Amino acid sequence: MIERLEALDGLGAEIAARAARAGVLAVWRTQLRSVRRVVVRAGRTEESTSAVFSGHGVQVRTAEGRMALASRDGLDPLPALRLLDRAADATRSGESLGVASSADADLPVVVARSVPSGLEAFEETEAPAVAARLAEIEREVAAAAPGVRLRLTWVSDLDAWRVLRSDGTDVLYAMPRAVLRAAATTDGDGSRHSIGASVAGPDPRLAWNERLAGLFLRRAVAAARLARELPDALVHPAGCPPLVIDYTLAKGLAHEAFGHAAEADGFRSSVLARDGRYRTGERVGADRVSIVDEPIPGDHAWQPYGPNGLVRERAAIVDRGALADALADPWSAAASGVAARGSERAESYRSAPLPRMSNIRIEVADPLPAPGSFEDYGAAELRDLLSAAGVFRRHAAVSWLSGYTGGQVNTATGDFVFHCKAIRRITRDGDVLHRPAIFSGSMFGALAAIREAFGPLALDAIGTCGKWGQNVPSSGGSHFFLVLDPDPSFRLGGS
Amino acid sequence: MTSDEALDRLVAAARSARPGGVRVREWSVHVAESRRASIGTQDAHTGGPHSPLGIAEALSARWHLVWEDGRVVSSDLDRTAIEEGLGEAIERARAAAREDPDAAQVAPPARMPDVSLLDSAAARMAAGDLAPLAGRLRAIRDRLASHGFRTWSGSFHATHTTARIVTSSGLDASSESTLAGWHATFDGELGNGHVARAQDGDAEFEVRLDRLADLAARLRLPAPPGGARSRLAVLHPAVVRSLVFGTLLHNLDGAAVAHGESRFPAKAFGSRMPVFPEGLSLRVEPLEPLKAGSYRFTLEGVPAAPTTFVDRGRLVTPVLGLKYARRLGGRPTGIPVASDALRLSGPPAIALEEALESAPGGTLVLAVLGVHTQDRASGDFSLSAPQALAIAGGSARGRLRVTMSGNVFEVLADDALRLVRFPGEDVPGLRIRCAVENR
Repeated sequence: MIERLEALDGLGAEIAARAARAGVLAVWRTQLRSVRRVVVRAGRTEESTSAVFSGHGVQVRTAEGRMALASRDGLDPLPALRLLDRAADATRSGESLGVASSADADLPVVVARSVPSGLEAFEETEAPAVAARLAEIEREVAAAAPGVRLRLTWVSDLDAWRVLRSDGTDVLYAMPRAVLRAAATTDGDGSRHSIGASVAGPDPRLAWNERLAGLFLRRAVAAARLARELPDALVHPAGCPPLVIDYTLAKGLAHEAFGHAAEADGFRSSVLARDGRYRTGERVGADRVSIVDEPIPGDHAWQPYGPNGLVRERAAIVDRGALADALADPWSAAASGVAARGSERAESYRSAPLPRMSNIRIEVADPLPAPGSFEDYGAAELRDLLSAAGVFRRHAAVSWLSGYTGGQVNTATGDFVFHCKAIRRITRDGDVLHRPAIFSGSMFGALAAIREAFGPLALDAIGTCGKWGQNVPSSGGSHFFLVLDPDPSFRLGGS
Repeated sequence: MTSDEALDRLVAAARSARPGGVRVREWSVHVAESRRASIGTQDAHTGGPHSPLGIAEALSARWHLVWEDGRVVSSDLDRTAIEEGLGEAIERARAAAREDPDAAQVAPPARMPDVSLLDSAAARMAAGDLAPLAGRLRAIRDRLASHGFRTWSGSFHATHTTARIVTSSGLDASSESTLAGWHATFDGELGNGHVARAQDGDAEFEVRLDRLADLAARLRLPAPPGGARSRLAVLHPAVVRSLVFGTLLHNLDGAAVAHGESRFPAKAFGSRMPVFPEGLSLRVEPLEPLKAGSYRFTLEGVPAAPTTFVDRGRLVTPVLGLKYARRLGGRPTGIPVASDALRLSGPPAIALEEALESAPGGTLVLAVLGVHTQDRASGDFSLSAPQALAIAGGSARGRLRVTMSGNVFEVLADDALRLVRFPGEDVPGLRIRCAVENR
């Protein structure tokens, strides 16, 4: 697969020559992507699909600052070269549509390559073997937590890009991803609840990896038990209780609330910007709290370069309580008053790259210890942590939101929502399970409310981000648990 | 390579395949070729780097192969795989094949319905002629200025697609269609638009835009003291689409029903026992001219057909393709590919004005955050609605920020339920009763 991209070596010079003749800057993106998926239910393989995508997209910028993007599937150089002419032609029709000039961008020339080893596993891992392994795991989950319907899914996704710019940039990179997911649904004639669990890694053989398969099993069993318990759970009263959120929900808070609002393409309306410029230096949280976006090798959302050919860099969106770095691409950076950090991503060669997150986390200085692994913590173990830290001296009860199931933000208002799998109301004496309810409110209030953090950073909460209809992998996390003191700016739904 | 040439190659490869000495017993090949043009606006910057004027060409193919030992496989293939010979794809298809008796079939020959799916103006736009959009972009900028909005974002797009399906059982059908749409959001707060097989007319566009601008402007007005004081809420059609239709369709999905992931067990379909209030019906109408939800045939080659899923409170059939129709002993059904083809009926229908008169102290919910995070199987919902208007004196004005919670199925069974006619919308709004909390 990578060889196919390497074989396009001669294309760079041809692009540069054509772009020069047309008087445009060209950013050429070639993508090859192979996605396979196996679904097992009740021991049967219900789905085994594969999809291969490849194509070229060329984005041009004229001397007047007008832009267009032309794309075509396939890897043939000749029709692909014609795309450049089509894109250049298309920019001319922009004038009648009121297309505004785009600012010039500072584009460092980068020639680099980042291809992780072990990609042959994507070819070698056969669907029937995956299906058999999923069926084994399914049997183990069902034995440990009977009374639910299970669906186990394996997805492998090898996503390789080559980005050539007419200024000499030539970057080739591959992003290997694999995911195991379990969905457990309550069985029987009563009300039904579905709970999911997942693990991710860069190797499609993760179902045979002792550590990851073991982790998946623990998470899937926990999901199955929760799906069984939820029909009998209480509805949580609406209000503003003291909260504990786990690292998956903290990822949701960082991603939905601060991450999207820090994306520089939306600064005319974002609450983190004023008059189109990032509010760098303004305080939005306690001194101990930072929010960092950073590509991490081997991570589900890892990306070494952006699709404009820049190196993807670390961005401290909030640095010890103050706004610091925005997520900016070369086209939005100058106008936003921030540095371009290669923070753009694109779902495919057909898509215009947008400032997007990779792995985003909330970091708290001097977290309290939480020994062992995250999966070791149930309500009783968490209660011990909270008790030792004196949380129950402040609050008679806390509501523990566990398991992120998704969220959304309005970057114009700073309103965020996210949802959890379950809520447990914990007191010194015990805990009571409640059904999930929406956690919503003001992002500033939520960040300012963080009091304690427990445990090391756990950054493997994965998801898919769908900004502007482009789906890209996301990930992140925080310390095992964060305690949020009550604040009227956010609340837990309920009835 | 044309799409017909691609199809010929795929059919020839399926017919001649013999990896490991195993032949293909039945096959289905679907090929689609499309052209698309689009232009976006982000933060009032039209055609900028993040939403440039775009033109795209694509050829996509899917085959479904049933091997002579009964194993099956489905794959999506791109132009490169087809152009470079399909030997490797055949080898992979054999290696990935699974035992799945219910999927071991292809669509038989059928008479495909005649339905109007093609608009010449949309086709010209898809080929790159976006000049007709100039007036519409100007109209949006005019509303931005006249209402004093800070910014807007949105997009216009048009696609022209030809598709053909051929199966080993003798089915050979084709379709040609367009799709054109737009969407605009003012101040990052409230958006709306239109999508169909043809653009909406200029007058219709202007009226729709005015309604959107008017609602977005009302959000800037202060709410009355006390906020929401009633459990009655009027859901905008956009909320009905995402919350109510989304929940119903999840639970009507054939795979979800067959695997116990739906609220409804398989035995509930065809039963005389109502699961919704008497009178509530839900059906899909995929044969109306130029609707986004209209089509000739599915990717499997199943003809489009009007289908009733819920009839006067009783479950009739899940949404079924070939595999789950066989699994559940039913027939393949029409597919709800877009909400403008769905028809919810039964509860009393009232005009928007009447709905607002009937809900003093209530909330007009224009948009909700978090629908995709809800547990569809239970029907429970707990949502934030930061874009909501206070209802007082028969009108809606003044921004409320509320959270709403309840259960979709209980809402649909409540005697407060009314269908609400919103001007210019294909989908009705709903007046419902649920928990509404001021934030």
